[in-house]
Amino acid sequence: MTKHFIIIILLGVLLAVFTVAMQDIEVLYNTALKSYLIEGVIPRGFVETGSRNLVTAILLDYRLFDSLFEAGILLIAVSGIIWISKHDIEEKNAQFMYDKYKTPDLFVTFSRLVYPLMLTFGFYVIVNGHLSPGGGFQGGAIVASAILILYYIDHDKETNIGLIVTVEKFLYIAILLFASLSIFTRGTYFTNVFPPTASPDVQAIYLVILNIMIGFKVALGLWAIFTAFLKEGR
Amino acid sequence: MQFIPVYLIFIPVITALFIYVFKNKHINYLALVAQLAMTILLIMYFTAYGDNPEATLFVFGDWDARVGISLYNDRLSISFMFLTIFTWWMVLIYTFNFRETDHNFLFFLMFLQGVFLGFLQSNDLFNLFVFLELTTIIVTILIAFKKTGDAYRAGIYYELINVSGVLFFLLGIIILYNSFGTINLLAIKAGLEGMEDLTALRMAYIFLMVGASVKAALFPLYTWLPKAHGVAQSGISALLSGLIVKGGLYLFIRINDMFSPANYSYSDFFFVVGGITAGIGVMFALSQKDIKQILAYHTVSQVGIMMMGLSSLPTNDLFYGGLYHVFNHALFKSLLFLGAGVIIKAYRSKKVADIRGVMRTMPVVSILMIVGMLSITGAPLFNGFISKTIIKYGIYDQEWKYWILFFVNIGTATSFIKMSQIFFGPRPMTIILKDAPQRLSMIIIAFSCVMLGTLYIPISSGYFGVDLSYITPFGLIPLYDYIATLTIGFCFYKLVIEKDVTMVRYIREFKVSFETANYLMIGYVVALVTYFIIL
Repeated sequence: MTKHFIIIILLGVLLAVFTVAMQDIEVLYNTALKSYLIEGVIPRGFVETGSRNLVTAILLDYRLFDSLFEAGILLIAVSGIIWISKHDIEEKNAQFMYDKYKTPDLFVTFSRLVYPLMLTFGFYVIVNGHLSPGGGFQGGAIVASAILILYYIDHDKETNIGLIVTVEKFLYIAILLFASLSIFTRGTYFTNVFPPTASPDVQAIYLVILNIMIGFKVALGLWAIFTAFLKEGR
Repeated sequence: MQFIPVYLIFIPVITALFIYVFKNKHINYLALVAQLAMTILLIMYFTAYGDNPEATLFVFGDWDARVGISLYNDRLSISFMFLTIFTWWMVLIYTFNFRETDHNFLFFLMFLQGVFLGFLQSNDLFNLFVFLELTTIIVTILIAFKKTGDAYRAGIYYELINVSGVLFFLLGIIILYNSFGTINLLAIKAGLEGMEDLTALRMAYIFLMVGASVKAALFPLYTWLPKAHGVAQSGISALLSGLIVKGGLYLFIRINDMFSPANYSYSDFFFVVGGITAGIGVMFALSQKDIKQILAYHTVSQVGIMMMGLSSLPTNDLFYGGLYHVFNHALFKSLLFLGAGVIIKAYRSKKVADIRGVMRTMPVVSILMIVGMLSITGAPLFNGFISKTIIKYGIYDQEWKYWILFFVNIGTATSFIKMSQIFFGPRPMTIILKDAPQRLSMIIIAFSCVMLGTLYIPISSGYFGVDLSYITPFGLIPLYDYIATLTIGFCFYKLVIEKDVTMVRYIREFKVSFETANYLMIGYVVALVTYFIIL
C-alpha cells in the first residue's frame, strides 16, 4: 500500500513538472532555427526526391540509412523468433492450427472474398507509396495480413519457413545493394540513383522499385513470424 | 577513404547475412576475413583522419546535415571502434572452435558488431535510437540463446527494462526535434549556443540521460545486468560486460558534449550516482557464491567507478581517468569472464565452493585469471592501477569522494581474495579439454592488460594528448598502498564474509522484482527532475 502511495506521489511530481516544462514548447516551436525546414525542405522535397509524399521522401531518400536498419530490426526479429521458438526450421508447417470444424463457414467464405481485395490493396499501397500515404512498410504489412487470411481458407496449407527466411535475407542484401547504387551515379551512398535535377517521373522509378523490395521483404518477414507462431501454438 | 565508416558498418552486416543464408562451415571463416578487412580499414581511417575530426563529418546522400543522417568521428569514437573490433576478435577466436557449425550464433554476433559500430559513429539522435533498439533486440536473443528457463527470463527482463529506458530517450528526442527542427547532434549543439535556459530543454536532457543510465546500468537501474550477464554464455558475457555496457557511458559522454553550451552542472549528481552504484555493486558481489554473478556485480561496481570519473568536465584529468578505466575494464573483465567460462566448463559448476585446485589442473588459465584479478584490484604495473590512480588524484581534495573510492577498492580486493580460493587445493578428477583458440584469445587480452599498465604514458599522450607522467607504478608507495588494501580486504574476508553472517545472507537473498525495478526507474527520473529542475 505504501509502495502504491509513493509511486502515485512520484508520478504526480513528474506529471506536474512535465506540464510546466511543456509550456516552453510554445516559445521553442517558433524559433528561427526551424526556418530552413519551412523554407527549404518542405517546398523542395518533391523536386529533390521525386516523391509527392514527404514521408516517403524522408524514408527512402533523406534518411534511407535509418530505414535500412528499421528493416534490419524486422530481419533480426524474424531470425530471433525462429531461433527461440523450439521447432526446427527445416520441418514443414504441416497443418493450420485451427480445426476445420471450428472455423465458421461464413468467415471462410468472406475470407475468400476479401483475400484478393486485400492483396490488391496491399500492392496498391506499396506501388503508390511515393504519391499517396503508404509505402513499403505499410503495404508489406497489408500483404502479410492477406496471406494470414489465406491460412483460414486453405487449412492444409504447407509453408516452408526456411525458404521464406532465406529469400528474405537475400532481399535484404538486394535492398542494401540497390540503395548503394547511387555511389556510381552521384558519388555518395543511400540516396536516389537519379540526380536531383532529373524529372520527378524518372526519380519515381527508383522509389517504386525500392518500395516494392521493402514491401516484399516486410511481407515475407511478417509471414515467417506468424508461421513460427502458428507452429508454436499447435 | 571518406566512405570507410559506411564499410565498417556494412561489412559485418553483410557477412552475417551470408553466414546465415549459406549455413556452410567454410563460409563461417568469412567472419575472420571480414574482421581482418575491418581492422585494416580502421587503421587506414585513423591514419588519414585521426587528426582532423571536422573532415570526418559525412552526410548520406549529400543533403543538408540538418535533414540527412550524418556520421562523425573524433578520437573518442575511433578509440571505441578500436576497442569494439578488438573485443570482437577475441570473442570470435574464443568461441570459434565450438561455434564453427553454429550459423545462428555467428549471424547475431556479426550483425551486432555492425550495429554497434554504427552506434558509435552516428551523429544523429534518431539514428542512435534505432541502433539502441537493434542492440537491445540482438543482445536479448544472445542472452536467451541457450533456450533454458533462466535464459528466457533474463532475456525478457533485459528487453523490457531497456526498452522502457530507450522510450524515455525517444521522448527526449521528440522534445528536441520540436525545439530545433533537427536531430543532428552538432546542429543542436550549435543551436543551444546562446539559447535561454528553458525547462523543456532540461526535461529533454533528463529523458536522454535516463536512456543512457539504463544502458549503462547505473544505480537504481542496474538490476538487469547481473541477471543477463550471469546467465549468458561466457563469450557473450565478456562481450556484454566488456563493451555493450560501455555503450551507455559513451551515450552519456556524447549527450553531455551536445548539451555543453547549456552548462548544466551535472558533475555532483552523477558522481554520487556513480559512487552509490560502485558501493552497491561491491556489496552484492561480496555476498554472491556464483562465479559469474560475482563478476557481473563487479561490472556494476566498476561502471560506478567509471561514472565517478566521467561525471567530471571533459577538461579535467579526472574525466580521462574514467575514460581510461572504460578501456581497462573492457580488457580485464572480458579476460575474467573468458577464464571463468573455461573453468566452469571443466568443472561443470559455477559455485566458488565447488571449484578447487585450478592451479594444478589448468596452470595457464589460472595465471591469466590472476593477471585479470591483479588488474581489477589495481595492482601496480597492471592497467587497473593507472586509471584508479588518476581518479584518486582527481578527487584527492574532497575527502568524502576519496572515502567512497577507498571502500570500493577494499570491497573489490575482498571479493577477489574470496574468488582466489579456486586456485588452491588438491587436483580434482576432471576432464580438461584443450582448446587452443580459447587460450590464445585470453593470452592476447592479458598481454594487452600488462601493456596498457606499463606503456600508459606514450599511449595516452600520443592519443588523447593527456600527460600521465605523474603516475609512477614503480615506487614503494603504490606497493604499500596495494598491500595495505589487500591486508584490510583479507581481514574483512576472514572476519565477515567467510563466516557468512546473517547480514551477508540477507543481501544474497535480496531480489529486486520487475515491479520494484520499474518503481526504481520512476524514482530515478524524479530524482533527476528534482536535481535539475526543481532545485
